[in-house]
Amino acid sequence: MLPPILTNRRSILSSIVGSTLLFPAIVEQLLADNRELGTDPLMPREPHFPAKAKRVIFLFMTGGVSHVDTFDPKPALTRDHGKEIKADHPEIKDRPGYERIFLKKPQWEFAPHGQCGMEVSTLFPHVATCVDDIALIRSMHTSHSNHYNATLGMHTGSFAQSRPSIGSWMTYGLGTINRNLPGFIVIAPKQTYAGTQVYANDFLPGAFQGTLVVPGSEPIRNVAPRTPAAKQRMELEALKAINQEHLAARPMDGSLAARVQSFETAFGMQTAVPEVFDLSGESDATLESYGLKRGQTTGFGWQCLAARRLVERGVRFVELIDTGSSGNWDAHGDMMTHEPLAKNVDQPIAALLKDLKQRGMLDDTLVVWTTEFGRTPFNNTAEAKGREHHPWAFSSWLAGAGVKPGTVYGETDEHGVRVANNGVHVHDFHATILHLMGFDHEKLTFRHSGRDYRLTDVEGNVVQAVLA
Amino acid sequence: MQRFPPAIPLMLWILGSMVAYADEGTDFFESKVRPLLVKHCYECHSGEKTKGGLSLDSKTGWEKGGESGSAITTGEPDKSLLIAAIRYQDLEMPPSGKLPEEEIQLLETWVRMGAPDPRITPAKIGGMTAEQARSWWAFQPLPPVASDFTSNSIDRAIDAGLNEHGIPASSPADKRTWLRRATYDLTGLPPTPEEMDAFLADSSTDSANRVLERLLASPQYGVQWGRHWLDVVRYADTAGENTDRPLVHAWRYRNWVFDAFNRDMPYNQFVQMQIAGDILFANAPDTQRSEGIIATGYLAIARRFGHDIDKDIHLTYEDIIDNLGKNFVGITTGCARCHDHKYDPVTADDYYGLMGFLASTKFSFPGCEPKGQPKDMVPLLAPTEVESLMQPWKERNAIFEAEKKKRQEAADLARKSWKEQVSTATHLLAHGKIAEGASIPIATNSTQSLESIAVRKGEVLQLTVLPNDNHGADSTLVDWTIRSQNAPDQVWSTSELISDFLQSNPHPGAHGATWFLLDATDGPTPLLEKRKSNGGSEAIQSWSIGSEPSIFVNTSELPTNVWTSLSARSLFVHPGPNRTVAIAWTSPIDGMVSIEGRVADAHPAALDGVSFRLEHFASTDIGEKLLAIADEKLAPLQSPGPAPEIPVAYAVAEASPVHSKVHLRGDPEKLGAEIPRRWISVLGGDPLPENAGSGRKQLSDWIASEPIAARVMVNRVWQLHFGQGLVRTPNDFGSRGDRPSHPELLDQLAAYFVQHGYSIKSLHRLIMNTAAYQRSSEANEEAARHDPENRFLSHFNRRRLTAEEMRDSLLAVSQQLDLTPSQSHPFPPEASWTFTQHDPFNAVYDTNKRSAYLMVQRQRRHPFLALFDGADPNASTPVRQSTTVPTQALYFLNDPFFHTQATQVATALLKQPDDETRIRSLFRRSLQRDPTPSEQTRLVDFVKLYGASPEENWGAAARILLACNEFLYLD
Repeated sequence: MLPPILTNRRSILSSIVGSTLLFPAIVEQLLADNRELGTDPLMPREPHFPAKAKRVIFLFMTGGVSHVDTFDPKPALTRDHGKEIKADHPEIKDRPGYERIFLKKPQWEFAPHGQCGMEVSTLFPHVATCVDDIALIRSMHTSHSNHYNATLGMHTGSFAQSRPSIGSWMTYGLGTINRNLPGFIVIAPKQTYAGTQVYANDFLPGAFQGTLVVPGSEPIRNVAPRTPAAKQRMELEALKAINQEHLAARPMDGSLAARVQSFETAFGMQTAVPEVFDLSGESDATLESYGLKRGQTTGFGWQCLAARRLVERGVRFVELIDTGSSGNWDAHGDMMTHEPLAKNVDQPIAALLKDLKQRGMLDDTLVVWTTEFGRTPFNNTAEAKGREHHPWAFSSWLAGAGVKPGTVYGETDEHGVRVANNGVHVHDFHATILHLMGFDHEKLTFRHSGRDYRLTDVEGNVVQAVLA
Repeated sequence: MQRFPPAIPLMLWILGSMVAYADEGTDFFESKVRPLLVKHCYECHSGEKTKGGLSLDSKTGWEKGGESGSAITTGEPDKSLLIAAIRYQDLEMPPSGKLPEEEIQLLETWVRMGAPDPRITPAKIGGMTAEQARSWWAFQPLPPVASDFTSNSIDRAIDAGLNEHGIPASSPADKRTWLRRATYDLTGLPPTPEEMDAFLADSSTDSANRVLERLLASPQYGVQWGRHWLDVVRYADTAGENTDRPLVHAWRYRNWVFDAFNRDMPYNQFVQMQIAGDILFANAPDTQRSEGIIATGYLAIARRFGHDIDKDIHLTYEDIIDNLGKNFVGITTGCARCHDHKYDPVTADDYYGLMGFLASTKFSFPGCEPKGQPKDMVPLLAPTEVESLMQPWKERNAIFEAEKKKRQEAADLARKSWKEQVSTATHLLAHGKIAEGASIPIATNSTQSLESIAVRKGEVLQLTVLPNDNHGADSTLVDWTIRSQNAPDQVWSTSELISDFLQSNPHPGAHGATWFLLDATDGPTPLLEKRKSNGGSEAIQSWSIGSEPSIFVNTSELPTNVWTSLSARSLFVHPGPNRTVAIAWTSPIDGMVSIEGRVADAHPAALDGVSFRLEHFASTDIGEKLLAIADEKLAPLQSPGPAPEIPVAYAVAEASPVHSKVHLRGDPEKLGAEIPRRWISVLGGDPLPENAGSGRKQLSDWIASEPIAARVMVNRVWQLHFGQGLVRTPNDFGSRGDRPSHPELLDQLAAYFVQHGYSIKSLHRLIMNTAAYQRSSEANEEAARHDPENRFLSHFNRRRLTAEEMRDSLLAVSQQLDLTPSQSHPFPPEASWTFTQHDPFNAVYDTNKRSAYLMVQRQRRHPFLALFDGADPNASTPVRQSTTVPTQALYFLNDPFFHTQATQVATALLKQPDDETRIRSLFRRSLQRDPTPSEQTRLVDFVKLYGASPEENWGAAARILLACNEFLYLD
């Protein structure tokens, strides 16, 4: 059973209308869209307006990818290497040893690619072959320079308090199509910053929580049957019989019936889930394109191919997190650690884009690539091997359904320190993703604690320039 | 005609001109000024848009002004910020471009006229007018309670509602249903089969009352109702900041809550103690004093935020003010951090008036990544007791410290003498720079053949790895072998250190040699700290001083990818910038040795580099000196033992009283006016008397005595019995909340509650004795049609067990439930904590105690509690959700804990003589009833057909009963 407040929008509305004379501000409430959920929160629902994108694959690079070494070429940074600059930067404020800072050149070469000529560094040679499908945003910025807060912000639009994650909002908005699989799946080899909060439903109903898949032998908790199928079926039949008798005496209770049904779904999941994650039916060519060896069940290539198989089967939102809260892109010590991390994801991401395209799925699948913040184009010595956290500017990209392909939007200044024009805050990024899915970000709301909450809080503008 | 005295026409003329002037002013405003304001200013300064805090859509708006102060000084354009801004003198407004000169002049004229402005709005408190706020239903005083108010009075109110809507009440539930309902409601546990038998057999009129008294007296009552309280106060066992540190002592508050419910502590006292128990009982006897301190754990368990929690303390205050408002008085206050409440009568000034109480309070510090371990726990003993407990330990510790000092002096002496000897007795044997990614032999640049070096017992060979220039945080593989030329079987190698690397430093070597692992930056300093795992791998073990590993080994038979690919079974030296690290070998023999091996850059990366030196310290004293130096830090020393454990609480204490300043738009760096500490204005706005300390005592009085506080608590108790409150938004009694379905009943209940000494148990008795509580959960057709949400309570609301009730029931049926209270969690000892945002605290502790004692983390939800809609440890949870998702069904199919309980049941069943008894026993344990004949037959068949071992057959049968709806739902 849902909390009564949810099932009862009409009476809320009428009580609001009744009090409108007293509180004109409440009229805005009528504009909000608290979605009707009924007894079946996962039922498929239509978005606010027709949209090409039906599902999202959200690629999250954890730790903070350096923009000036990957997607944001800065020749002036190379030219001015070693030059001292001043910046009132959150990461160097009052930090001993950081009284003076110097520009530090990128360590990888950039070159134009594709028809559009988008410049990408040698860290992403495979993604570079897909630039004609990508809308790159070089003017991303965020509100916090800590991993925890920035990661939470990129996932929930909130930089301190925990709030529902973007995948939960999406499932709340759209419901799910395939009942044998959860609507929102997160594939992550390790926990990232902010732990389970990055895929939590928070105040949204529990049906919208992300289901964690850990690459390996049991990707979803409790999905491996502990009894042989025939015996389990016997148990389920006996359970159904006792539940049916119970239900017959309580015919009006939808939640009891829903629970009876959920056992059938769970039974199905025991085969559907392993089937999704069983890549043996994929061709050698496909496996090879993702950089996978036959039988391999881990690695980002596996995550990407699993993601394709999940969205193919109707999962609404799949997030792939490349690594955990350590050993990630957080290259304070040495930028060279970007090399193996990029290598880990580059070929699989390109393979995923091409695979989706070849299957015609890129037309209704939105692919998002992002990180929590960029890395400083400077350090306290020009020879320092690493770069620090940089919330002022970073790069993210979108590809697929509804996205204007081969586009670059926004610019940073000549050294990549500040956004120079067309800044895109995390809230704007979220508004744009919701728009691509057919939602007005100001209207996809949920009433909690007397307030209508939304993913974009009270901010957010759709970046029209990246829309097809 | 009589003449008027001359003064009168003059007066009339003056009055008339004033009126005319006022009209003229309004005209001027309406015709000239308002259009300009609308055109140029409203976009950013009207309605909810108040850039810089400034509103220009009302007279009060510009009078109050924004962050820079009042916008207009009437009559004086040159002193008016608004005019300065449009003149582009300081601020430049509007930002889109300077206004034409004639428009600027119009606004100047208007200000000179005294800024006549008819846009006067009624006095407001936050989002309500003062009048609306004063008359808001929830703030009204409670009516006198009817002298004959009983359970029947409640039923009359409920029946009146039903009659009015033409809905018949459902029939009473049967006795079994009622006992299950009452037992779960009050204790969170199923009745035992014996309790069920006794109740069914008891036909006396007061049998139900006796059951209620038994349940209310059970210690399990406090666990159940205390857990409800923990839901609303968002209790957790971790702090919630970036590393999610454990709150080692928070359990005392949790257990105090359980205990307070068991004692039926008057609710007003319960409230007061949580806010000011330390002050209220400051001079009370010990047990009461410590209880008062523990109760303030309510404030201490507030969430911490960010990396350095002190920098985000304003968010912790918000978390408390938000919870204080919702939890005790049903008012949402948190949003007033940034602006006046948009709908309810709460202002930003109210918020900062409350914040002062918290800023005047010292909170236990849970620790955080940049500021280390917890501190400022509040001792539960008087200072004199602490002193007498500590005295013997202090004496032992003084001896210990003295001995340490003596050793340090000895070590300093040894180091000095080591330096003197080394300066004359050093032979550099080999040295070299290691190129990027290169591996070079130890014999590089050797000054003599390394085939035969004469060593004497006690002399030292030392291999040092040092950074080039200022670089060098680089992992360097060292593979170093020394062979005796006299005895071929005498070989020493760094590889012998790998298998028991962390055993000790100095580390015993083969054939009586000794290895030293040293920081060699300024003379030898033994590496002190050992770490069993690094970079998330247990294969990587290290010695260090501080956080960077200085010497480490990969103990695995496989290469391990940490920082870089580290080869199998290898030893690495990791110098830092300006920091050198060395391995020293002390010779056990007099004779000739050969030296071989290699050093390699294991972490190829641009812009760095290291070198090595191999030296022979040819003095037989050197080994001794090294030992003496090592002794200082490493030799066993008679430890004073751990300091006596002083019981402490995670709680608060008084700090210097301060008033808080408004954070403009919630930004703690933009401070506005100082707001004296006071109660929120709509509830009286009482100021503090002189010398009130933090004022928490007064705050606790104000809160506890509010009629709305009684209404809110009564509504919670009602909701937890009936599934929904008379007000269905239990944390929000404001304009955005629900209106009570039975307003007079709510008021009467609240008044009864106050009159009966705020006894919560008296509310249970009152409510559970109503006919409404005793009804069947079957809705009749009229109810289904006219009142689908059952607001009028024609029937009981069926509910699913909560996560805790479910798990406790599984353990109860399997007879594994441990009903004794739990205390602290098995957290790792504080001294061992190295939690960072990259490697935060993360644990799940198994227990067979009641689920209310499960360790609850803020950053990582407990997997079971998250799956079954447990409370949110980050926000007040006034109503549990009850979602149905297939991953829950997977739990009942495959979860190991679930299977274990079923197996336990099966084992017990198999002790019964025959299948029929077993099935009867299974039904009685899990559903507290006998099976029907058809259930009996079906289950006998099932067990026969299942066709596995008896344990498995009965395990499967138990799983069916433990997974069925009848088990999981309460009628």
